[in-house]
Amino acid sequence: MKRTSILLLIILSIMFVLPATDLSGEDVMWNVYNRDSGDTMGANLIMTITNARGSVRERSIAQYRQDLDGVESKLMFFLSPSDVRNTSFLSFSYEDGRNDDQYIYLPALKRVKRIASDSKNDSFMGSDFTYDDMGSRHPDLDRHTVLRTETVSGLPTLVIESIAQGAEDYPRTLSWVVDGQWFGLKKEFYLPDGSLGKTLTIDAFDEIDGIAVITDMTMSNHKQNTSTRIQMQDVEFNLEFESNFFSERQMKIGPRR
Amino acid sequence: MNKKIRIATSLLIAFLLTPLFAGEGEFNGMVRDYAAFRFSEADMPVHEITADVRFEYYGDLGKLTLHPVAYANPNKELELSLGEAYADIYLENTDIRVGMQKVIWGEAEGAFITDLVSPRNMKSFILADFTEIRKAVPAIKIDHYQGDYMMQAIWISHFVPFSPPSENSMWRQEVILPFPSTVTATIHDPTLPNPTLENSEFFASLSHFAPKLSWTVNGGYQWGDEPLVTAVTAPSATTRDIAQGYERYPFVGGSLNTPIANAVLRLEAALAIDKPMNSLDTTANPPISLEKHHQVQTLVGLDWNMFGAQWSSQYLMIYTHDHHDKLVFQMKSINEFAHTLTFRVQDTFLDERLTAKLFTYVELDPANALFRPSLSYNLGDGVIVEGGAELFVGDEEGTFGSYQNNSLAYLALRWYF
Repeated sequence: MKRTSILLLIILSIMFVLPATDLSGEDVMWNVYNRDSGDTMGANLIMTITNARGSVRERSIAQYRQDLDGVESKLMFFLSPSDVRNTSFLSFSYEDGRNDDQYIYLPALKRVKRIASDSKNDSFMGSDFTYDDMGSRHPDLDRHTVLRTETVSGLPTLVIESIAQGAEDYPRTLSWVVDGQWFGLKKEFYLPDGSLGKTLTIDAFDEIDGIAVITDMTMSNHKQNTSTRIQMQDVEFNLEFESNFFSERQMKIGPRR
Repeated sequence: MNKKIRIATSLLIAFLLTPLFAGEGEFNGMVRDYAAFRFSEADMPVHEITADVRFEYYGDLGKLTLHPVAYANPNKELELSLGEAYADIYLENTDIRVGMQKVIWGEAEGAFITDLVSPRNMKSFILADFTEIRKAVPAIKIDHYQGDYMMQAIWISHFVPFSPPSENSMWRQEVILPFPSTVTATIHDPTLPNPTLENSEFFASLSHFAPKLSWTVNGGYQWGDEPLVTAVTAPSATTRDIAQGYERYPFVGGSLNTPIANAVLRLEAALAIDKPMNSLDTTANPPISLEKHHQVQTLVGLDWNMFGAQWSSQYLMIYTHDHHDKLVFQMKSINEFAHTLTFRVQDTFLDERLTAKLFTYVELDPANALFRPSLSYNLGDGVIVEGGAELFVGDEEGTFGSYQNNSLAYLALRWYF
């Protein structure tokens, strides 16, 4: 009986530790990177930022995205709070790793201004998300290993350890990627000293036009005791944008298409 | 037509036009309480409450915008101004804007190279918000888009000059006239050009918006915003009459911006052709005359991020062709070459609630500067409190040093709604 128990324990341990997939960590993260997220998308984002004292701020943004010929174009219109209303932000991200091009339109100045590309590790609008978190991180920037499989929210996930190739604020991350659907359900960010810095949890996801989309997520910063929740509403895919939608002109006109 | 009637008429016209744009309206704006403490006099020369309201009415055709602004100062009459009032019509590749509008050109920050369409409001040398420095002009602006290119044409029906500081303003500078103390000089208000078609102003530009390099070439035929002395007469041996007026000249220019690594490089230049200027010669009769000189203004700017903060630096150079020592601007000598540097650093803290900023102008000859440190805190719900200082230092002959008795600290509360 004792021998059987030990054997069972060994088998379970192997099952838990070793991945039930033939894919490498790189394969998984490329699948995540190449996952169909729609060539175009529009959504309203509600960003709720909670500071260490529990004080809450809310921002709402209308966001439009287009992936075309290796360029991700993103246009964001700030709807609230009132001190940033009608400000818009346009960015072009390149698959080949070039620096992003970023522009901001400040209605009071009536001018579209090219801005120096923010560090990918900088906070996105004072939230717990960085610019890197808001986009798709290129798989070649890290080395990836499949650690194990786990079930999260009833879904089978592969736990991927990613070690940054260059200097990063969080040089090691763990991602829980849904096997076969290739989107993350959870991500942990570890500081250089090995301690857990922040955690991204997915609170809701949906399938819209056949595309899995995260509609509610929260980033918790364990060191600063802050958190940011992003809810996505009115998500639409396969929008027909005018050829000059991602432009200086549209930044000034506003979110009306 | 006085200002109040003009505003009321504009509001009426806008509301009459509203059905054409049948759609939805939006109100937003800002209320600001701004108070300044002057170090040299230990007084509070400014305590101004401003209501800045914007009404936008959207329809299928485009948008109507009304932007009235009210300024209240203690013991002064309420000042009501129509910041802007215009209609936007959006066609497939063309946007048309008609009405009182502010037009902003160029890449410079805090400097005016090709940004010559809207005149400046210099009632205060330091404004509570820099965005209030421009005045609206009655214009028709047409933007035509073709791919990444935009062609813009602007017609300004009536010339609008800059607004000088009022008689009792602390920003008013005494003009020293070249007459002996026995002579009484009378400076007459400047004469505005007649509002004829041939006196209207024209501007045009061609722009290309692209990630690698965005550029604009532009030009215009415009009136100088600031008045010049046009004639000096001597009705008697001990009196002089000084007539002022506005002169017009063409200019051509351009600007560009391009990314360099993680920085942004900005360039801007303008050539003013035969720009009218005053010449002062006490041995001549009359002692003040008008001359025309070409003038070149150039600017190089660099913006970058470092240590989590935003940094920006600019170098501005003005060259006056065929220069001689008698050329003056507001009776102060003009240098053949004038060099100005600006520097800005800005960072945010406490989840972007707290913003620290320093903007500096440095004029090299004569050496003088303006330092503008500020701290603002976002209390949430659109309420922002800001404190800062405007510190004028250096040679009293310089643009900034001449205001060194006006160095001040200020506090402002803004509520955006």
